[in-house]
Amino acid sequence: MYAWVWRHLPGPWPVRALIALVLVAAIAVALFSWGFPWLEQTFGLNDVTVG
Amino acid sequence: MRRSVRNVRPRGRGTVSKAAGILGELLLTAGFLILLYVAYVLWGTGIQTERAQDEMRERIETLWEPVQESTEASPDEVPAETDTPAEADAPSEADAPAEVDEVFGIIRIPRLGNDWEWVVVDEVDLESLSRGPGHYPQSAMPGELGNLAIAGHRSGHGAPFHNLDRIQAGDTIEIERADGVWTYTVDRTPTVIDPSDVWVVAPVPGAAAEAEPTERRITLTTCHPRYGSSQRMFVSGVLTSGEEI
Repeated sequence: MYAWVWRHLPGPWPVRALIALVLVAAIAVALFSWGFPWLEQTFGLNDVTVG
Repeated sequence: MRRSVRNVRPRGRGTVSKAAGILGELLLTAGFLILLYVAYVLWGTGIQTERAQDEMRERIETLWEPVQESTEASPDEVPAETDTPAEADAPSEADAPAEVDEVFGIIRIPRLGNDWEWVVVDEVDLESLSRGPGHYPQSAMPGELGNLAIAGHRSGHGAPFHNLDRIQAGDTIEIERADGVWTYTVDRTPTVIDPSDVWVVAPVPGAAAEAEPTERRITLTTCHPRYGSSQRMFVSGVLTSGEEI
């Protein structure tokens, strides 16, 4: 899967590495802003109230 | 020996080894995502909380000032005096009173550190608790007969109640609002309970919900164990100084 992504990235390897880094960072930011808060709320992973 | 292995591998790469390769990548990805989630809970959520706390502290400074000055000026007429400056200031920033509603006050527990101080919000849904500890909206106000209940995170979101288990009998819990400071003294040390034990935040903890309160009590709830939420922990105290209402 990662090899497939690597093969489909354009340009020489430094450019590919840069694009790959940006992709990983974008996914991490998306998870921090939406993915994880949703996970926490939906599954009550960090509940502190009674009731 | 090595050469022969290299020569054999490409030919021998069948469906099983391909599937194993994909499975390996998926497992690596899952591991990475879990680590990222841990980083989010322990560190990422704290950044949001810190920002929210700073922002609310600033708001308190500007909004409490006129109220506090007027109470000092004429302590006899607190209700009348607090209303007047708020009304005089209101027209210029019409949305300010609505905003300040969500800030409940400040909580201080010297046992948890001399600089341990959090702005408390006036809600206990998860979104509000990500900004700081929250006051159960139906529970008592400071100085009022009944039970003032506050919930806070034990881990993540700044973890205000991370060390709630360190509180001992006789420790003080201080609540400050625009119109005063109330001090409660702990008489029920940290106790582990089930998430369904709503009696701890009832007006008379442990009694029927309609029981008439005779004490002015404070109760703090958080999760237990520290990095889980399968149980809850609470600590409770009674009012020992501050205006009774």
